[in-house]
Amino acid sequence: MAALLEVSGLSVHFGGLAAVKDVTFSIEPGERLVMIGPNGAGKTTLFNLLTGQLKPSGGKVLFKGQDITHKPVYARTQLGMARSFQITSLFPNETVLTNALIALQGTRGGRYRMFGVFTRDKVLRSAAQELLESIDLWDKRSETVSSLAYGETRKLEMGLSLASSPDLLMLDEPSCGLTPTESKDITERINTLGKKITVLMISHDMDLAFGVAERIILLHFGEISCEGTCDEIRANQTVKDIYMGSHKASTAGG
Amino acid sequence: MATRPVDLLLGRLMRKAVAAPPVAAEGSRALALFKAWLPALVILLLLLVLPSFVPSYIQSLVTKMMIFALFGVSMNILWGYGGIPTFGHAAFFGFGGYVCGILIIHGGIANFWVNLVLVMVITALLGAGLGIPAFRVYGVGASDNPIYFLLVTLAFGELLVRVAISARSLTGGSTGLSGIPYPDLGIGVSINSYSYYFLVLGIVAVCLLVIYRIVNSHYGYALRGIHDNERRMQALGFNTWLYKYTSYIIAGMFGGVAGCLFAYFGGTMVPNNMGMAMTDIVFLIVILGSASVYFGPVIGAVIVVGVDYLASMYMPERWPLIMAAIIVVVIMFIPQGVGVLLLDLWRKVFHGSAA
Ligand SMILES: Nc1ncnc2c1ncn2[C@@H]1O[C@H](COP(=O)(O)OP(=O)(O)O)[C@@H](O)[C@H]1O
Ligand SMILES: [Mg+2]
Repeated sequence: MAALLEVSGLSVHFGGLAAVKDVTFSIEPGERLVMIGPNGAGKTTLFNLLTGQLKPSGGKVLFKGQDITHKPVYARTQLGMARSFQITSLFPNETVLTNALIALQGTRGGRYRMFGVFTRDKVLRSAAQELLESIDLWDKRSETVSSLAYGETRKLEMGLSLASSPDLLMLDEPSCGLTPTESKDITERINTLGKKITVLMISHDMDLAFGVAERIILLHFGEISCEGTCDEIRANQTVKDIYMGSHKASTAGG
Repeated sequence: MATRPVDLLLGRLMRKAVAAPPVAAEGSRALALFKAWLPALVILLLLLVLPSFVPSYIQSLVTKMMIFALFGVSMNILWGYGGIPTFGHAAFFGFGGYVCGILIIHGGIANFWVNLVLVMVITALLGAGLGIPAFRVYGVGASDNPIYFLLVTLAFGELLVRVAISARSLTGGSTGLSGIPYPDLGIGVSINSYSYYFLVLGIVAVCLLVIYRIVNSHYGYALRGIHDNERRMQALGFNTWLYKYTSYIIAGMFGGVAGCLFAYFGGTMVPNNMGMAMTDIVFLIVILGSASVYFGPVIGAVIVVGVDYLASMYMPERWPLIMAAIIVVVIMFIPQGVGVLLLDLWRKVFHGSAA
């Protein structure tokens, strides 16, 4: 089977700091790949490179066999990538429903229609109902997003990234700041997505990581430090050093 | 809550001031539509019968208010909806007026409709040209730091002022282009200041309706999304550059229509109509009326043009001072704009709840 996403030799520097160094990996269709690593390891930066928000200083990204290294963000979404943000990124002045409508519109025809009332678009509205029901926010549809509780905004955050029915869903710490119960909800939601959606997830939360992953990559100081199944990662000395011991002890391990 | 000037500039404060409307209840749609459009209908009817009751100088004042209402609403496509503040919107207003005058005086095009269409096409082309460098400077999510964009758009306006001053043979130089006649509709009816009022009413009403449809369309909501969170919009698949760029062209085009109506109205165009002085006025119109309510700039235009008229009658040399004082008072006491106050009042009276 051809890989859905192939990343080779990807790097980026911020001034003198190499935030991502020569990262190479690939994802098979339907796979659940989780990226772990300490704070500042470069996980979010790697996501930004994959989605096009940042331009790499070197390397190549292939998606569905196409070279997308220099494609703009929106074009990658049109191709079937979607992402969520570690720092919640919604439309705070709009209602929950309008957030869903806007998100759904992103990859559908009629984005440039100038006549016709957007909030009354029947097709979009029924899609929005389905989307919001799937994340238990339909009852909150008329509330302004800025008035939602934090846990609800995290759910909406993930909901918006599902709106495009992506082939590759990239989640950046979906459980960031959530209680264990809420975090479990998210785990369940991801596990019910179905194999049509390939998942690449960043997680700090080990329960979530092990609850979702088929394969785990450890990123450390911008480099892939080790890679394996959940059991291999649990047993790995480098991972133990980073997560249980001090960060310094692990630098040699990469 | 502290008012940060940058919030005001970005229309953020104003956007927060208006709670999003509730999702319309099913069933009572016809009634809801009627209620929503009632004020517009009443105002339209009042404006239609107004000339029979007021002296001609009031009628001419209202003509000017309508022209500036269109000017303000056109700017608000960018500012209130797209979150893109510009210091150069007057460039399109003045340019549209100049194109109109030049086409009549030097181009020999007398027909109003031909002239109007040409003005729209040519100002849209200006927008298409200026928009490319302007949005290169603007970047992505520049709502956070629009200062370079503001400076670039300001420079465009001043540049056009310079051009108008030097291209004397075409524009009349610094004294301006004068002798623009009332329009010829090509249907044998001669237009004077009395009937021009109705022409302006018709054109402005149609333009406001079209802009209303645009800002509530799929396109319009994409603009609002860009206002709130451009990065997310890109991640959702929207080509945000194209939206910003086209909204700049559309806003410029309607600004040009307002300028064209203004050229016929006064019969003259002066270079300053494209510069900072005119931009100040439209800025005040939008701030005063509110950028977060569709009809806000209409109210702003009524107030600004009205105060301008009174000031010019009683103390013409103090007008800039009065204008500055109004800006300060509004920013201090009603930063969200008069439009929001009126909307709240409307909802209280007719829906029994505050916005
Ligand atoms: N835009 C940026 N400019 C400069 N440095 C950055 C930028 N973004 C991230 N960094 C730095 O790159 C490193 C990796 O950050 P990040 O990818 O956010 O880590 P993670 O998501 O793994 O916690 C950090 O040291 C961070 O400070
Ligand atoms: Mg991160």
